[in-house]
Amino acid sequence: MKHKLISAALFAAFLISWEVFSRVSGFSELVLPSLSAVLATLWSGLTTGYLWPHIWLTGVEMLLGLATGCAIGFVCGVVLGESVFLRRILYPYIIASQVIPKLALAPLFIVWFGFGMTSIVVITALICFFPLLENTLTAIQHIDPQKRELFRMLGATRMQTLLRLKIPAGLPVIMAGFRVAVVLSLVGAVVGEFIGGRDGLGAMIIASQGMMDSPLMFAVLIVITVLGMIFFQATIWFERWLLRKHVTGTEQ
Amino acid sequence: MDFVSLQKVTHTYRDANGKPELIVDGFDWAIGEGEFHCLVGRSGCGKTTLLKLVAGLLQPDSGSIALQGQPLRDPGEQVGFVFQRPTLLEWLTVAENILLPISLKRKPGPADHEKLESLLALVGLSGLADRNATQLSGGQQSRVAIARALILEPPVLLLDEPFAALDAITREELQDDLLKLFRSRNTTVLFVTHDIREAVYLADRVAVMDRGQLIRDLTIPLPRPRDGEIRYSQGFNDLCADVRHAMDVPA
Repeated sequence: MKHKLISAALFAAFLISWEVFSRVSGFSELVLPSLSAVLATLWSGLTTGYLWPHIWLTGVEMLLGLATGCAIGFVCGVVLGESVFLRRILYPYIIASQVIPKLALAPLFIVWFGFGMTSIVVITALICFFPLLENTLTAIQHIDPQKRELFRMLGATRMQTLLRLKIPAGLPVIMAGFRVAVVLSLVGAVVGEFIGGRDGLGAMIIASQGMMDSPLMFAVLIVITVLGMIFFQATIWFERWLLRKHVTGTEQ
Repeated sequence: MDFVSLQKVTHTYRDANGKPELIVDGFDWAIGEGEFHCLVGRSGCGKTTLLKLVAGLLQPDSGSIALQGQPLRDPGEQVGFVFQRPTLLEWLTVAENILLPISLKRKPGPADHEKLESLLALVGLSGLADRNATQLSGGQQSRVAIARALILEPPVLLLDEPFAALDAITREELQDDLLKLFRSRNTTVLFVTHDIREAVYLADRVAVMDRGQLIRDLTIPLPRPRDGEIRYSQGFNDLCADVRHAMDVPA
């Protein structure tokens, strides 16, 4: 409780000093718009309905990319984790594709998929793919050997060992990858829109830059931050629900 | 006929570079039906490997292992195994953990739940069936692991230092409960430990192992049923000393 209070006080202090500084310093509105100007822009954007379609679009792109990327990443992680053969053959390619800055591929995707939603979903999916792949692969390869022997003793099939031991046991690690993917998915969608979007919050930032409308840019940045925090909090709740049975306790 | 028999069993471990190391070296042993045998030795003497060979988790390089006269191939229902750590699945309840051997084969029915209840009572965990496995104490987790190994009523039970991580009092309680279970079910038991007093207290016969070889075979003539008092008797201590001296081999 005490920490929350201090945290809130810090936030208030930040807002007040922003407002005061922007008035006293004499910077032009283009460089540092005042908090009140930004909030006024944000308010009118929300009440006139101007911002909502963009928020909706970015949210949809982010969710579609996240779902696609995580699903493919999870499946690939499981397949590579189960098959030593595929892992040996494909691992160098995975490393190589990991080190490519994924956003550098965005222009190529625009050539392939055109401007708009498809390209941005593909970019977002590609960015979300790796944390899920990496964590799933790590999780199902690092199962307690005694538990694996237990399943062998019990005559479990490979599928049973996967579904009833490896995936549940690896779930906390897999979910840690999912959390990273959620944060990255917003980066993917917004930056994807910088490059290949006509609409959406990222495109709005570029547009406001073109119009030299800094209050709008700040307003959009606030919207993106809030959107990210909502998604992150939802992820935490989802994770808590999914891992409700994994009560943390001493194993011995 | 011997219930479990090992003849000239040899097992070699190859490390990552393919360098062979002899872990079990020509081991002969036989356990009669319903007998309780203990295998003692220092850490790294190969006793866990030997137990895994008997379980079918590892295959011998040469020699043979037979259960009830049948050569052993793969792990199967006829053997229950209790690991060094309880190895409970943290995301399941106590009941789900104990029923795991059944639920991997079919959906547990009413008869299985009755068996579960009676097993829970036997290991002193009645009323804890719906607890999460990780909410139990170390001793209780070991009890769950034993119940899980017994749910399919295997004729042979193998235990790999199951009580090593527990405090002395809890360990004695579990030893007594294990003896009770053993008496009531006529299970054939092979129990691996490095604790000499534990081995002498539990066993009908003790095998002492060193560097993969059987170096001493000792019959324990103490009367059954045994209780805690016997630990302080002269005969018990003489037997412990006997085992201890057998382990004093020059390195």
